[in-house]
Amino acid sequence: MRTHLLMLIIATLLQPSAPIWAQTGAKPVAGQSLSVTASSAGIDTLLTGGPAAWNQIVAKRVALNRTPPLYDTDEPAAVEIPMLDVRLVRAGGKLLVCLSWRDTTHDAATLAAVPNTPPETRFRKVPTEADDRFFDAAAVMFPEKSGGGAIAPSLQMGDAEHPVEIYYWNATRGAMLMQAQGRSTTKRTGQTFPANGTYQNGQWNVTFELPDLPAGTTVAFAVWNGSQKDRDGRKYFSVWQVLE
Amino acid sequence: MSKHQYAMVMDLNKCLGCQTCTIACKKLWTDRDGTGYMYWNNVETRPGLGYPRQWDRIGGGWKDGTLQPSPLPPMDDYGHAWEYNYEQRLYEGKKQPVMPSPEPQSGVNWDEDVGGMNADENYFFYLPRICNHCTYPACLEACPRKAIYKRDEDGIVVIDQERCQGYRYCIKACPYKKIYFNEVTGKSEKCIFCYPRLEKGEVNACAAQCPGRLRFVGLLDDPESPVHKLVLVHKIALPLFPEKGTQPNVFYVPPFNPPKRENYGKSILEDPRVPLDYLVYLFGAEVKDVITRLEAELKKAQEGGRSEVLQLLIGRDAETRFHVRPQLVQIQV
Ligand code: SF4
Ligand code: SF4
Repeated sequence: MRTHLLMLIIATLLQPSAPIWAQTGAKPVAGQSLSVTASSAGIDTLLTGGPAAWNQIVAKRVALNRTPPLYDTDEPAAVEIPMLDVRLVRAGGKLLVCLSWRDTTHDAATLAAVPNTPPETRFRKVPTEADDRFFDAAAVMFPEKSGGGAIAPSLQMGDAEHPVEIYYWNATRGAMLMQAQGRSTTKRTGQTFPANGTYQNGQWNVTFELPDLPAGTTVAFAVWNGSQKDRDGRKYFSVWQVLE
Repeated sequence: MSKHQYAMVMDLNKCLGCQTCTIACKKLWTDRDGTGYMYWNNVETRPGLGYPRQWDRIGGGWKDGTLQPSPLPPMDDYGHAWEYNYEQRLYEGKKQPVMPSPEPQSGVNWDEDVGGMNADENYFFYLPRICNHCTYPACLEACPRKAIYKRDEDGIVVIDQERCQGYRYCIKACPYKKIYFNEVTGKSEKCIFCYPRLEKGEVNACAAQCPGRLRFVGLLDDPESPVHKLVLVHKIALPLFPEKGTQPNVFYVPPFNPPKRENYGKSILEDPRVPLDYLVYLFGAEVKDVITRLEAELKKAQEGGRSEVLQLLIGRDAETRFHVRPQLVQIQV
């Protein structure tokens, strides 16, 4: 257990980007800027057109870190997804984000539709097909108050003074908007947003429709790999990046 | 620790294995989408596989203050739901017999009445199981969302369905595997000790329906309650797997365990029908003392005396077995 912990700490330190603690309480450094392309393409084309719709947009390669074990009972996990390609477009008064990453396991399922009628009126109920599977997912996080300020929120889901919005997409359950102000405070708002994911040739391309965030906004990304039993803080994450 | 603690005692000598409790619970709480495989109350044959199978061997609970999570039991260990091909037999005129599909490989109470062999004699008994509403719930500790809480007023452990995100750390941590994941809602569920019934003065559905009248319910800290008497005064009921460290609040009166056939008249502890090792495995070494105490009570009654303990265990009426009148919740500590 101890060697494993040590290796993970070393692995975290060896990540190409700045360590986590350099990321809280300070503005991200210049190398972490993301350029945004203006586009006249329709929002729908960008959202659902697949990789082809984004061919012309230059990608920024963002390093992903694996969260160190959060609990002493955490099972070890290898770094299977070391990086993420981010493409950003302003179109139709929205910020569209395309996240692409290689993932050899496609962890998604189509859950049976739940009829609208109350279960007690039906002879058959929808079964739980599996109890031990987890699904691929991705998220974009940014501060609730745009414009930023001198200090970026804590990377661990913001903090009391700096609440964050989290646009979360799950390969099986779809898009859901969440809010948080610090670790373990994440709440689903019950709202959803337009998003689309496609898996082809061992690669995920997931598009998000975000509000039109102003230049200077800090954004961070996360990826969950279902086959690595990722959920919760067990995931891959990027450090804060700044929109140009 | 909560201010008060509801507890249940089940007398294993009286369980018929009829599953009335299981159905009472299922009809009331788990007849919804995603809950088909959930048995907040299940009754399993012991020795046996249990539900999910081998739950008692895979881990969970505490050791030296640290959680010992097990792997998540896969659906194979609960058993996959099957359907019968009635349509083709009854409506399409096909001649094949009615068969289940997919072929059943496992299920709740899969090895009913198989039990074990003690030399040349077969033995088994039934073990009804609900969540133990533990004093130190491993499930609660494991949840990073703090979605699980122990009610201060009565010690009942519940999952806040609003906060739960379906991470399933609780299932891994519970040594009794008494939390189930609902894939339809994406959240985990468990026995709620029928708190909405208790709050109205009604006893738990499983206890109310039990024709064996083997379930006793009340506050452990209420001196008038049967559970207080059985567990703390007479000391004849024990928790399951005490070494898992969660301090369950469901207690069992172990099987009296008569001697094998040819040993009639001998002490229960001499060459018993259920190997003592197996009872020690389930209830810890204290089970020997409990059986000795029970034997003494039995002897007293057989010799024409009156045994308070046996009178209580007979549990003739609901007033004897249950102490859930809402005013009991007012008891001050
Ligand atoms: S039996 Fe399991 S689910 Fe119930 S309180 Fe104890 S640890 Fe939690
Ligand atoms: S209803 Fe009572 S007798 Fe029947 S299986 Fe359940 S606990 Fe045993």
